[in-house]
Amino acid sequence: MTNNHPLIQVKNLELYFGAFHALKNVSVDFHAGELVGLVGDNGAGKTTLIRVLCGIYAPTSGEVYFDGRKVEKFHPKLAIDQGMETIQQSVGLCDNLSIARNFFLGREPVKRILGIPFLDFAKMRDKSTRVIREFGLRDNVSADDEVERLSGGERQSVKIGRAVEFKNRVVIMDEPTNHLSVREREHVNELAVQLKEQGLLVIYITHDIFQVHRIADRVVIMENGAKVADASTDSMTAEELEEVIRQGGRVVEKREAV
Amino acid sequence: MKQLVRGQGFGAIIGVVVMLSAFTVVDFSGWWTAQTISNVVQFTAILGFVAMGQALVIMAKEIDLSVGSVYGLTGVAFITLEPTLGVTGSLIVALGIAAFVGFLQAIAVVKGQLPSMIVTLGGLFTARGIIYVWTGGSVHNFSAAARSHPITRFLGGELFGIEAAIFWLIVAAAILNLLLWTTPFGNRLLATGGSKESAESRGVRTDRIKIAAFMLCSLLAGFAGILTLCDRPQTHVTLGELMELEAISAAVIGGCLLTGGRGSLIGAILGALIVVSFRYELIALGAPSSWFITFVGIVLIVAVIFNQKLARWLGHSV
Repeated sequence: MTNNHPLIQVKNLELYFGAFHALKNVSVDFHAGELVGLVGDNGAGKTTLIRVLCGIYAPTSGEVYFDGRKVEKFHPKLAIDQGMETIQQSVGLCDNLSIARNFFLGREPVKRILGIPFLDFAKMRDKSTRVIREFGLRDNVSADDEVERLSGGERQSVKIGRAVEFKNRVVIMDEPTNHLSVREREHVNELAVQLKEQGLLVIYITHDIFQVHRIADRVVIMENGAKVADASTDSMTAEELEEVIRQGGRVVEKREAV
Repeated sequence: MKQLVRGQGFGAIIGVVVMLSAFTVVDFSGWWTAQTISNVVQFTAILGFVAMGQALVIMAKEIDLSVGSVYGLTGVAFITLEPTLGVTGSLIVALGIAAFVGFLQAIAVVKGQLPSMIVTLGGLFTARGIIYVWTGGSVHNFSAAARSHPITRFLGGELFGIEAAIFWLIVAAAILNLLLWTTPFGNRLLATGGSKESAESRGVRTDRIKIAAFMLCSLLAGFAGILTLCDRPQTHVTLGELMELEAISAAVIGGCLLTGGRGSLIGAILGALIVVSFRYELIALGAPSSWFITFVGIVLIVAVIFNQKLARWLGHSV
């Protein structure tokens, strides 16, 4: 399932915000084709860790390797260019723009007329229409409709579809099923598994150990800015992992031999 | 129906129709005169430039209070520098000053993380102060040679049988509309105003977008100042005073939502037409000119309520 060469390797990561020690010596590997659950309470450091990977925060010390190469500069644009996509509940789509415009935001296809780049509307509409059909949006929703019309699940579908369409290598899902109905949650979780099966690395952030245990290959638990557990879902049950979270701080490392 | 209403500046079109009907009924002979119409068209064109710039900034979810002072400063620079630099040289330098003021304010907003309301309020006073110091409170005029310079005539006289200012407004509106609705820059500007976080998560450099919006706004205000002075080449220290409020009113009447990401350049021009028309209709009616501001205020409030209801009816969350 996984190969030996990690797609993302985090080594001894430390991050301070002033006096606040946000990440404490975190080391973790992520492989392509893997669905990893990143679990922990509020303030455990999950989102902070992800923001380092996405280039939003630069670490105080420690290293991040992407595909074997050391990351020297941390900037969101660079992370995106390397094929890293974050799917968050409240961020990623602009309500005032159409699905097609959102889909290509920041990477708009253009037709040049007299050297001036104009949006290639036909291409934007065709591609995004195909993707929203594939990812199960209502039939009466068109790519020209504003995102404002979409339900929470449909928004997630658009973002996930976009990640697939742009051939991303890493999809980070930050609490992707918050505020979703049961059926929509199932749909989003199916899409997460689908992404993994296409060979992407999926990092799935959640509070809910039981939900992620069903779909993840491995679960990483964080507590107070440190990694406290890193175990394959075959080696530990959801109940055992929950116990780790409850006790907080007892370091557990159980992984499949790779 | 909704498709039609969704079109740009629909609220402002209704406003213009209502206003013109009202003026026609109330004061047919005073309103529909060549003099009134010519004044209205000329000043709508001037305010239209400033309002379009303001609209771009509002769509990027910022505001620019300095446009009146920038308009004045650019005009003063254009006239005052002409004897040393010539018309072409002073035109370029004056526009350069406008762009630079926009750039400085944008840097303070973007890099300093300061509210644009405060930064540009500072800009308003600073630029106005420079006007006072620079002119020493005196009136400056163009020389006869400068008045007959091709550029002055090109920007200030009549072109193809219409006022030059309105010709340039149409050209600028066409270009800016293409820029806003059909280019990646426009898409990113609307996204920046709609949700800065989301835009940034897609790798959009919202800082650069905002800098560009502020610079465009200042340039448009500056160009409006130059157009005014090419038409009537005489500066005074109050040139452009209160214009920022008229421009913001025009943009808001024209359907720009201060929540960002939604608006219309055509609407901003129509908003300018409404603001300017009220001024000249009040003059035509012989009302004291001081009533003008009161009327603009009332129209502004009515327009905001109307535009918000319209937006809610369309299902936007505003």
